[in-house]
Amino acid sequence: MAKILGIDLGTTNSAMAIMEASGPRVLENSEGNRTTPSIVALSKAKERLVGLLAKRQTVTNPQNTIYSVKRFIGRKFSDSEVQHDKKVLPYEIREGANNSVEVKMGDEWLKPEQVSAMVLAKLKADAEAALGERIEEAVITVPAYFDDSQRQATKNAGEIAGLKVKRILNEPTAAALAYGLNKKKNEQIVVYDFGGGTFDVSVLEVGDDTVEVKATGGDTHLGGDDFDKKVIDYLVSEYKKQEGIDIFKDPLALQRLREGAEKAKHELSTAMETEINLPYISSDASGPKHFVMKLTRAKLESLVQEFIVRSIDLALKTVKDAKFDIKDIDEVILVGGQTRMPAMQEAVKKAFGKEPHKGVNPDEVVAVGAAVQAGIMQGDVKDILLLDVTPLSLGIETLGGVFTRLIEKNTTIPTAKTQIFSTAADNQTTVEIHVLQGEREMASDNKTLARFILDGLPPAPRGVPQVEVAFDIDANGILNVSAKDKASGKTQSVRIEASTSLSKDEVERLKNEAKMHEAEDKKKRELVDLKNTAESTVYMAEKALKDAGDKVPADIKDAINQKVEALKSVKDSTDPESIKKALSELSQELQKIGQAMYKDQPGNQQSPGDNPSTGEENNQ
Amino acid sequence: MPDEKQEEKKEEQPAEDLKNELEKLQKDKDEYLNGWKRAKADLINYQKDEAKRFEEIMQYATEAMVRDLIPVLDSFELGIAALEKNGPVDKGVYIIKTQLEEALKKKGLEKIKVSAGDAFDPAKHESIGVVTIEGIESGKIGEVIESGYALNEKVVRPTRVKLSK
Repeated sequence: MAKILGIDLGTTNSAMAIMEASGPRVLENSEGNRTTPSIVALSKAKERLVGLLAKRQTVTNPQNTIYSVKRFIGRKFSDSEVQHDKKVLPYEIREGANNSVEVKMGDEWLKPEQVSAMVLAKLKADAEAALGERIEEAVITVPAYFDDSQRQATKNAGEIAGLKVKRILNEPTAAALAYGLNKKKNEQIVVYDFGGGTFDVSVLEVGDDTVEVKATGGDTHLGGDDFDKKVIDYLVSEYKKQEGIDIFKDPLALQRLREGAEKAKHELSTAMETEINLPYISSDASGPKHFVMKLTRAKLESLVQEFIVRSIDLALKTVKDAKFDIKDIDEVILVGGQTRMPAMQEAVKKAFGKEPHKGVNPDEVVAVGAAVQAGIMQGDVKDILLLDVTPLSLGIETLGGVFTRLIEKNTTIPTAKTQIFSTAADNQTTVEIHVLQGEREMASDNKTLARFILDGLPPAPRGVPQVEVAFDIDANGILNVSAKDKASGKTQSVRIEASTSLSKDEVERLKNEAKMHEAEDKKKRELVDLKNTAESTVYMAEKALKDAGDKVPADIKDAINQKVEALKSVKDSTDPESIKKALSELSQELQKIGQAMYKDQPGNQQSPGDNPSTGEENNQ
Repeated sequence: MPDEKQEEKKEEQPAEDLKNELEKLQKDKDEYLNGWKRAKADLINYQKDEAKRFEEIMQYATEAMVRDLIPVLDSFELGIAALEKNGPVDKGVYIIKTQLEEALKKKGLEKIKVSAGDAFDPAKHESIGVVTIEGIESGKIGEVIESGYALNEKVVRPTRVKLSK
């Protein structure tokens, strides 16, 4: 069955995605980009250009380059928005039949849907090239506030482009679908969509299999572009103060500054400070001039603060319009590239008192949602086989009371994992397998599921016996743990019925606890690991000396013995630095015995096991 | 006689049940086997996809690095142009530039070849203004302002040009 293409037809940029067996996938266009500028142009050579190519000739061909046409689609010429936009856009706009809007490209007067159709046709063609199959149907998204005429015009645009439009989907609903929130029952969702040129807020209510738009709001002339403009204005005026040069007068310098500023803006989403370096940006009588300016996150935030405050006010007003209280809102979704800005995320979080959803790329989330809707319609999104996951990690206790994980949390079941362990002492004939569940580093902090003993191990030096421990969880969450001595073939096992049947709250509590103790647990764990290494090194050193006998000169032996004693005296301390120091001194001293002799020693395997429980060896 | 018939039926009944049971199990078996095969196929396909994705990520990582270095090349060109105005420039500076370009060439970066008088092609060029130049047809490239680059034949930065008026 042919795929249905999910299309986010945006004011500034468009994106597309399809549903595959493994989930939604955003498709790249023919230029290799995941978003396509919603721009169409007729070049001076009378060639029609769409997307990035149209954008690249905007400066020298502004009259024939049509962008932001979404602002006109399905609108009446007399609408105040049309009259406003008409004044600021560089291309010609006139009144067509029945009070409709027409735009001029070359010698032709086009309806907005014809222009949008050109963008859609490119997306269709690029999707077909990417997939190697024909695309005939699409789900296209529109803002929630679009009226019937705007929806119909968008649908017409699709049909003109040769697409059968299976559904016109609201953008905020698409965002909710992308996060799987349509499966929730009776929830109120706020979608905060801060795009390049528009800001939309929608309040949705999810009922039984329906998503209802309760209110919409925002500002059709507020967006990320305002942020960029503000930053450029600031940088240009600062530079003018410093050097007396007006960058606005030099198009290349301005272009370089724009790119530098955009990069800086992106970097400030993760860094607190960045530097914009543009050597040789200009020159005057005294010679070449360079642009070097630090920009801090705080400065950026202060520059755009007013926009953020305004957007939050608008968002809160929309919630009020929907006749909800802030506390009624269950989920908040962030859409639009600008929402990557930490200050904006913080402001949203503060206003709604909850962490907003932001896992899906905010530039692509609407297209992804459109693909999810397409998937539902082509019947792909069916949960044929629901596979469970283990909510918490499963493992055993090893040397020093450490919890060694065999199966990590969130592993899809059924699954099995095997690992080889060994003994911690010479002639150890039994090992205890202590099966645990949890996220803490130390065994004693986790939940005991079972204990059993494997005995009858043939006497051998520590680290030599090989005990194979196998964890196997079946589809019903029943855990089988077995331990097998590879020498004697002796096996013991235990069956644990309820390894996954913890309540959601309990799992959450345990996870939170682990998070809370993360740092302290890590320290404890490192200390135990260090102690284990110290013990095995002492063991190895003593064994090496004994085995080497007279082959090692007495002075080296004495020196080693001294270091061994030194390490023994500090290995049980709680100061990792002193253990590390003694350990490295001993290691250095040991090298003197000579590599040949060292290699001949049996039983110098890594991390020998403990008593009574086992120690970790190498992975199989 | 009726008793005998009853007896026969009784014997038939379990056979019928077993047959139904067998059919049901057969159906279940097919369903499970299919599900298993499908799961295995999914995994294999996923592994293939993953390998492909890994390759893409590697390429993307190179692209990100190369993109960051393009402004350095720009500054180099601007710097040399500024130095040339004041007289001859030490040869070593040109060698360093070539070195940098060669290193990026190994990663697949090529400078887009273009000169004044060429036709403007938005697939490779970006216009940032107009200029009056004698002898060049209107709409053709009048002046190359900033070099453009293609990485493995994909344009990562178009050549910035001024068009002839």
